[in-house]
Amino acid sequence: MTVINSIVPARFLTLIAHLVIVITIFWSRSNNVQACLPLDFSEEEYNTEDTRLVVALSVTLGLFGVELAGFFSGVSMFNHSQSLLSLAAHCSASICLSFFVFQKWECWTYWFIFAFCSVIPALCELILFIAVFGLKKKPF
Amino acid sequence: MAAQGKRQLSSAPLQVLFYLNGWYFAAFFIAEALMFIYKGLLLPYHESNLILDVVLLLLFLGLETLRLFYGWKGNLCERSLALSLSVSVLVPCTVLSVYYLLLQTFVLRLEFLLNAILLCFYSLELILGIMTISAFSR
Repeated sequence: MTVINSIVPARFLTLIAHLVIVITIFWSRSNNVQACLPLDFSEEEYNTEDTRLVVALSVTLGLFGVELAGFFSGVSMFNHSQSLLSLAAHCSASICLSFFVFQKWECWTYWFIFAFCSVIPALCELILFIAVFGLKKKPF
Repeated sequence: MAAQGKRQLSSAPLQVLFYLNGWYFAAFFIAEALMFIYKGLLLPYHESNLILDVVLLLLFLGLETLRLFYGWKGNLCERSLALSLSVSVLVPCTVLSVYYLLLQTFVLRLEFLLNAILLCFYSLELILGIMTISAFSR
């Protein structure tokens, strides 16, 4: 019971940690954009890559909205499978994005972190929304 | 018993916020303590300023613990007095959070974000707290 009680705040804290790092990357993304451009990049190339990264980060924030809505509405707050998936995904994302910021990874690596750590839990959240509200299943 | 037929007045959303806010503030306190160690070692922090910021952080911990305890107890026991006390202590907690957000000697981006999220918690708890106090007093 203690472990089950701990999984809800653990999921919330990893979600917030991932959110904090994503917003931090918004602030400091110029290093990562330059890391995937040649040394003599032009302004146009920089703006293209910068726009692409901003779009990725913005979509990530939208997916955070989906997950927080599911969590706070109670749809998936006590669903252990979704909690474990979210915990693993957002914990991995926090660690990878810490490396992304400190090691100045190239900006295309963000898409892998985005695909595996943001899209998958958000899709499972949407499936749970459909199951609970559409098919009238219990949210546990 | 006496409670039979009486409607449940405690607020579940408010209780969820208090519970998660307790965990969040624990993580917040640890992060702030580590950031003060970092700033004390690497930045030209004036000693009196550092002591002031650390003492205020400990005061913040005490006030937050008091506020969460009375909010928790007031909500679950349906006592408007305890919940009113919790909402009252929210004011100095908000002042301290704004201090750490804007006014301390060195503000890191991480501190800015953590305090912004904490202020979101406070806004929601203020609104739900006032609504719940109204429900108790009706």
